[in-house]
Amino acid sequence: MSIETANDKTVLVWDLPTRLFHWCVVALVFVSWLSADQGWMTIHLASGLILLALLLFRLGWGLFGSTTARFSNFLHPPRRVLGYLKSLKDGDRLLYAGHNPAGGLMVMAMILVLLGQALTGLFANDGLKFNGPLALLIPSEASDSITSIHRLIFDAILLLIWCHVVAVGFYLLVKRDNLVLPMLTGRKPHSHLPQGVELAFTRLIIALLLFFLSAGIAAWIMIEGASLP
Amino acid sequence: MTEPNDTGQYLELLRRQAQTRRQFVGLGAGGLGAFFLNDAFAKTAPAGGLNFARDPSTPLSVLPPQFPAKAKRVIYLHMGGAPSQLELFDHKPQLARFNGHDCPESFLKGKRFAFITGIPKMLGPQFPFHQTGRNGTWISDRLPHLERLIDDLCIIKSMKTDQFNHAPAQLLVQTGDQRTGHASLGSWVTYGLGTENQNLPGFIVLISNGGTTANAGKPLWGSGFLPSVYQGVPCRSAGEPVLYLQNPKGVSRAERREVLDTVDEINRQTYREFGNPETVTRIAQYEMAFRMQLEASDAMDIHREPQAVLDRYGAQPGKTSYANNCLVARRLAERGVRFIQLYHWGWDSHGSPTDEGLNVGLVKQCKETDQPTAALLADLKARGLLEDTLVVWGGEFGRTPMQDNHAGGEETKFIGRDHHPSAFTIWMAGGGVKAGMNYGQTDDMGYEIVKDPVEVRDQHATMLYLLGFDYRTFSYTYQGLDQKLTGVKPARIVSEILA
Amino acid sequence: MAGEASARLSAPAYFISVLLLTLAGFGAAMLARPAFGHAVLQWARLEPVPRALPGSFYTARVAPLFQDRCVGCHGETRQKAGLRLDSFAEVMLGSRHGAVVRPGDAKHSELFTRISLPPSDDKAMPPSGKTPLTDDEVTVVRLWIAHGASPATAAIKGAPKLVKPVTIPELDLARAAKQRAPLAAAVQQVQQRLPGVVDYQSRSSAGLEVDASLMGARFGDADLAMLKPLAMQIVQADFSGTSVTDSSASALAAMTGLERLRVANTKISDTTIQALAPLKKLRSLSVTGTKVTGAGLTSLRQKGVAIYADADVH
Repeated sequence: MSIETANDKTVLVWDLPTRLFHWCVVALVFVSWLSADQGWMTIHLASGLILLALLLFRLGWGLFGSTTARFSNFLHPPRRVLGYLKSLKDGDRLLYAGHNPAGGLMVMAMILVLLGQALTGLFANDGLKFNGPLALLIPSEASDSITSIHRLIFDAILLLIWCHVVAVGFYLLVKRDNLVLPMLTGRKPHSHLPQGVELAFTRLIIALLLFFLSAGIAAWIMIEGASLP
Repeated sequence: MTEPNDTGQYLELLRRQAQTRRQFVGLGAGGLGAFFLNDAFAKTAPAGGLNFARDPSTPLSVLPPQFPAKAKRVIYLHMGGAPSQLELFDHKPQLARFNGHDCPESFLKGKRFAFITGIPKMLGPQFPFHQTGRNGTWISDRLPHLERLIDDLCIIKSMKTDQFNHAPAQLLVQTGDQRTGHASLGSWVTYGLGTENQNLPGFIVLISNGGTTANAGKPLWGSGFLPSVYQGVPCRSAGEPVLYLQNPKGVSRAERREVLDTVDEINRQTYREFGNPETVTRIAQYEMAFRMQLEASDAMDIHREPQAVLDRYGAQPGKTSYANNCLVARRLAERGVRFIQLYHWGWDSHGSPTDEGLNVGLVKQCKETDQPTAALLADLKARGLLEDTLVVWGGEFGRTPMQDNHAGGEETKFIGRDHHPSAFTIWMAGGGVKAGMNYGQTDDMGYEIVKDPVEVRDQHATMLYLLGFDYRTFSYTYQGLDQKLTGVKPARIVSEILA
Repeated sequence: MAGEASARLSAPAYFISVLLLTLAGFGAAMLARPAFGHAVLQWARLEPVPRALPGSFYTARVAPLFQDRCVGCHGETRQKAGLRLDSFAEVMLGSRHGAVVRPGDAKHSELFTRISLPPSDDKAMPPSGKTPLTDDEVTVVRLWIAHGASPATAAIKGAPKLVKPVTIPELDLARAAKQRAPLAAAVQQVQQRLPGVVDYQSRSSAGLEVDASLMGARFGDADLAMLKPLAMQIVQADFSGTSVTDSSASALAAMTGLERLRVANTKISDTTIQALAPLKKLRSLSVTGTKVTGAGLTSLRQKGVAIYADADVH
């Protein structure tokens, strides 16, 4: 089936919360890296906590959100992933409405690694005067070990970002399939979608509730940490 | 009770008697005079690998130190009341610039003072300082005699303590703990090393300018939990050297000997019956007192010194003075006394009464002590004794860079300083300490230490090291704890001042 | 990929471009962060890992200093600011902000400026709460950097002497007993005949200290002769105020391990002092109140022995 046809009607695939989540994470990861590098620890703490809230939200949204946002939609057994990659190589790739199986793996890996980063960050310290919100709950040697892990995970994040960008670039430049635009507008051309797919979109109010819940958890952690001697 | 005719049986009998008594008290649990069992001499369980058991009849016999020592004896010159380091050794020109200014709040916040209230004014040094010696050491003009020996002193300007009142601070310096009940430095040293001359006390205390009840009093040279035989013996450099040492009027030495022989026999019988080694020690002490009658009088008698020597010290036979005490100290050092403690009170320059102020009282104190201290050091050095005699000079804390306003707040005419535990100065000489050294530094105001702080227990650890002991293992078991002079907090030996 | 539009990039071309771009990015990072650059080159064995020589000033003075005061936060377990100071190579790699040592220029070396800051400064190293470096330690670092921050330079003139922290010797009573064994019986004999005169220097040594001064005139040459079997073990001897004379010169000369001798206020003269010449370990001699003259003491003074004599004896 040919991919590119003029007058291809676009279909809403990515809901607003998912898109907002994606781009906020991009910005916050950059801010987190920059602030850590420059020693602006208060900003680092803030961006880390917001990231935590967003990640918690995404976990919730992955259970209760729109079809394409749900984990059940894009997490597939390895057989399916390999099958998809084969179809990609053979030039006759399978179509998926949301994330394809490989992309789904990427997404999950990224979320989990980022979550790990945020969680280790809670217990890390910068060796001088700054401590993560929960760092004082554990012995200082433990905090130092977790700080080392926090640094290592950053390298993993860099690697994942590289994979992600290379993959998106691959689709863009080799497969002529712009994945960036849909993540901005939410819309994919009708021809890019498999036939007969039905997408459900969860109400925004649920997203808001989930976000507030997540933000509340992050805030609670912050407050608990602040009250430590 | 008839004596068994076999020594072995005799000893066995003693042992059996002692054992039975111990068992009896053990079963009896509490209150049956269990403290009589504190038979330190029978104790063979070594503390830290060292055994300090001695024949009870010679409790002060010499024991070698753990490792080769640099110092064989100590002369401790304690300046009671706390001499002002800012007027003697710690040169603070910046403080002079702030003279009369209000004290900054950061100096006052969270601190306790003995007498200062409100916001005191800063007080600049009251005497001019200049540099002297090989290292360009700063010293005020108050110690012209000591100055000539500056290249023999190791001045520590970064001493610190946590006590801000005299009695507990003096106890901390002299016994390692601010509460009473602990053994003094001299007691520890004589316990560990004994003394060379068995005819003189091993630990002698000489006091000038104040009675024995000044501030912390007798516990300063007390033996605390160590056997009482190791306590300091206050001697006097005028009149009878030791009170009540001489026989009562009308009792000759021969008669005294007869009395002692009889008392001796009674005590020995008591020992055979009850086996308390303290009895044997008591016998030994009577004997020592008898020997001391001759030798102490001789040792303390400074009449025998040539006039030239008396003049060097500024000593006047017949008076009680620090100068006399210094000369006696040298004589005692030559005669094998292990620990000689001098106390000179009157350094508490609060400024009130006025004659205790810096411009009056301190001047007098320096005049009284500078020459004799220098003469003592020079004398020891000339005789080659300084090499293995550790001389320590110091008080119990320092004095504040702020003027003592004595609960005032306005202009006050008192020129004095309040107590200052955060920084004070002592010096050491001889006995393995580096000669001609300045150690430690305080900030520009002389308030806090900025370099190389030395806690009192660090000073003690270092002294014990010079005497050949490991402060960590030199201990005495009492109340379930291996008591140490340096206490339970970690201490360090100040390696930098060791020669 | 058959039959697609020619504007499309081929997969191999794309991945090669990615590879090249990635390498270029690495290169840029290595240039931007020299520490990272050197670390990568050393890891790839493209650059030798610099090592300090065993006998160098760095190894003897600087490395132990770093190990003691800095490596806790700048070493294997923790790398604050990305800086490690646990080896010469790591020191020269610097922190994530760049080199911390500029060879030859201490004033512009971050490592030096940080440790020279007043302890109250926020940027001071070690950070507040930890003991600041002593003046001597700061001088050592400064001298090392000023002399080129070399891994090889052996000694630097003007460096403060190394103060070794005191180590208290292990108490080994068994070993002491073994060392004392050969003369133990003789020592005991002398101790019985001359009570309170001879004793071991310490519990852990076999050296002996002799002090007859308290016996005064009762101790004479005959008594000193009793010490003959112990001569070689005697480390310190004090015969001040006794009645020993020059007849004991040979007995004293036999005390080859003697470090300190006191014969003040005795009838000793220059004869005995001459006899002391072969005592190699002698470092302190007291002859106050004797007839010893300055001439007799010259050779000992030249050997660096501390002499205590009357003021008029030169």
